Amino acid sequence: MGTLLNLLPHLVNGITLGLLFALIALGFMLILGLMEQINLAHGSLFALGAYFAYAICAPRLPLPPDVLGMWAAVPLGWRFAAAVVLAPILVAPFGLVLERLMRRTYGRDPLYGLLLTFGVAMVLEELIRMVWGTRDYILPVPREMSGGFIMLDLIWSTYRFWAAALAIVAMAGVWAIVERTRFGAMVKAGAHDSEIVQALGIDLTRLRVWVFVLGTMLAAFAGVVLAPLWGIRPHMGVDAVVPAFLIIVLGGVGSFWGAAIGGLLVGMVVGLSGAYASEWSMLSMYLLLIAVVTLRARGLFGKKSVLEV
Amino acid sequence: MRKSRNSATSLSRRTIMKGSLMAAAASGTATFFGPWRHNRVWAQGAKPIKLGLTCDASGQYGNSGQDDLRGMRLAIDEFNVKGGVLGRKIEWTTADTETNPATGTRIAERFIAQEQCGFLLGAVHSGVANAITQVAAKYGTIYFNTNSSAPSEAGENCSRVKFVWDGNGTNFSKAAVQNALEKIGKRWLLLTNDYVWGHTTSAATKAQVEKAGGQIIDNLLIPQNTRDFTSYLLKVQQIKPDVIATAVGGDDIKALRQQVSDLRLEDKAAWINNQQDWPDIWGAPETLFGVFGTTWYHLLPLPGIAEFVKRWQTAYPQSPIPVPGNVSYNGYMATRELLRAIVRAGSTNNLKVIKALEGHKMTAADRMQHFDAYIDPATHQVQQTIYLARRNAKPVDKTDLYEIISWTKPESALDDAAPGKCKLKPDAEVPSYEI
Repeated sequence: MGTLLNLLPHLVNGITLGLLFALIALGFMLILGLMEQINLAHGSLFALGAYFAYAICAPRLPLPPDVLGMWAAVPLGWRFAAAVVLAPILVAPFGLVLERLMRRTYGRDPLYGLLLTFGVAMVLEELIRMVWGTRDYILPVPREMSGGFIMLDLIWSTYRFWAAALAIVAMAGVWAIVERTRFGAMVKAGAHDSEIVQALGIDLTRLRVWVFVLGTMLAAFAGVVLAPLWGIRPHMGVDAVVPAFLIIVLGGVGSFWGAAIGGLLVGMVVGLSGAYASEWSMLSMYLLLIAVVTLRARGLFGKKSVLEV
Repeated sequence: MRKSRNSATSLSRRTIMKGSLMAAAASGTATFFGPWRHNRVWAQGAKPIKLGLTCDASGQYGNSGQDDLRGMRLAIDEFNVKGGVLGRKIEWTTADTETNPATGTRIAERFIAQEQCGFLLGAVHSGVANAITQVAAKYGTIYFNTNSSAPSEAGENCSRVKFVWDGNGTNFSKAAVQNALEKIGKRWLLLTNDYVWGHTTSAATKAQVEKAGGQIIDNLLIPQNTRDFTSYLLKVQQIKPDVIATAVGGDDIKALRQQVSDLRLEDKAAWINNQQDWPDIWGAPETLFGVFGTTWYHLLPLPGIAEFVKRWQTAYPQSPIPVPGNVSYNGYMATRELLRAIVRAGSTNNLKVIKALEGHKMTAADRMQHFDAYIDPATHQVQQTIYLARRNAKPVDKTDLYEIISWTKPESALDDAAPGKCKLKPDAEVPSYEI
């Protein structure tokens, strides 16, 4: 009983961590799964979301002093809510430009897209350094969402559970868009057989733009949600893109449920190993990946992808 | 990112040979120590002395590396304004070592073999410092580890060509442990960054705790680049230690501090952070808690500090950190002492410069610390004043984050185990060179 009581907090922690990992992977999954493009700039878009959120919340906006003063007087709760909504919208144009740049790589060796997005990631990180400098920032969180609460005789981060809830909302939204809308059906059909979809008169180019923008906004949203936990610094994107990539491969390219279950599994493994074999906590996610792809090369829910050609 | 100033004209082999003979004739015999294949003599005269500054600009210690660089550049600029050293200008080149030992090796090799840097300075990460040491030792190039504080740097990984400028984990542990054991409690938990500095620092803390009658109840290893500490913080709450001693650095300690503060866990146990680097706390002062070690603070009430801070601020009006901290201070002091040693040696010959450094004493006033310091001839580590600090409840300005609560003499914080582990090579086994 004692062992179970000791284990329970780490299981709960694993689930919340897993939801956050799944949130980070969501935008990456959308672009890779539906467009079959590996977007290595995902981490930098994640970081941009966090920085824009900071600019809105702190606030550090390029506005006239009196307007900025009025905005600063708005309660933090409203500013934070505005950041959650506006930061992804502000990052969306970066996704638009990136998608435009990537068009020449469509249908070619995936390496081209990979190299392009890697370069863009470096440019965006440098841009962040130029605009915000190299110092760290902390995204202020409303009092109601910060601090700790007691559960199972331990102090837990209140915000962490808010973040997990936001992750669930985002995942539900993506699932509804992909699985329950005409747009989602067209995008999936386009990914499956682009020629037929175009023959039916659907503008696949425009669809791809929307998918890319949605993926970009999800990356930025994840950046906003994770910023109060991880802090904000120029290279924070690297911390996001690696687990995102790993989760997608683990869960299976193109699978929504693969990303969700993959995220939860990674969270659980990292959380439990952190508690009971701390020296393995970082390595554990890679060991999990090796174990899964050894047994099932396409990941847990993966289907055959054009990337395999 | 790489910066270079006044890059030296490339030299032909014939010029190098001529220069070698001339330099050898001018400098007497020192150049000809050791096996021929190891010796290098470059053309001298008015040729600038070139320093390779191996500083992280990215990775876990990217911020600290750049603050280190600011201190080094200030020292170089001050010497150049006065005409350089031995009538020669000082040039510098730098490259991002990326908080990555493999990159450190590659850059050190390039600086020495291709860019003809006569001296290397830099490093915050002990793995990077050790990697640079291996390359420097191969060529006999003098290397100043400015900011890596792993006890192993002046212990098992010491080198005749390396000088270590920061206080190490043992120094800080000795200053902190006894007092904390007596006043707080005997059950200690260690949080250890899973690399050389973390391991050697926690080992030093463990030794001090056990020697003083305390008990280490667990040691949680934290992989580098950990961003989510919830598992560890839950574990900490389950274990309920009296004292939590952390050897966590760079971006990792920033994330840890933020998460501990958010949970208000700073009061649930006593926290001792072995060493708190200034760039790791600037920007997030609200997450400063517990007791921590440092070697310098810009508001110490000592002569010369205000002038130094002013010079530093004049040199870097756009710096993301508005005042120098311990990292920039170490970079400045190390570079200044290297250039002074060249002057004392009257030569850039590495063996002469090493001799000018070994056992060298520096007054407290000159180093802007409370006690005199010296370079230990047995380990090549600078033995200096060790400060303990905590968050300042009554800051005089927005940079006044620390309240200094104690300062320990170098002799009282000495790493006694280091001389037994450090085996310095004799002159005959060190490749000699002169630039």
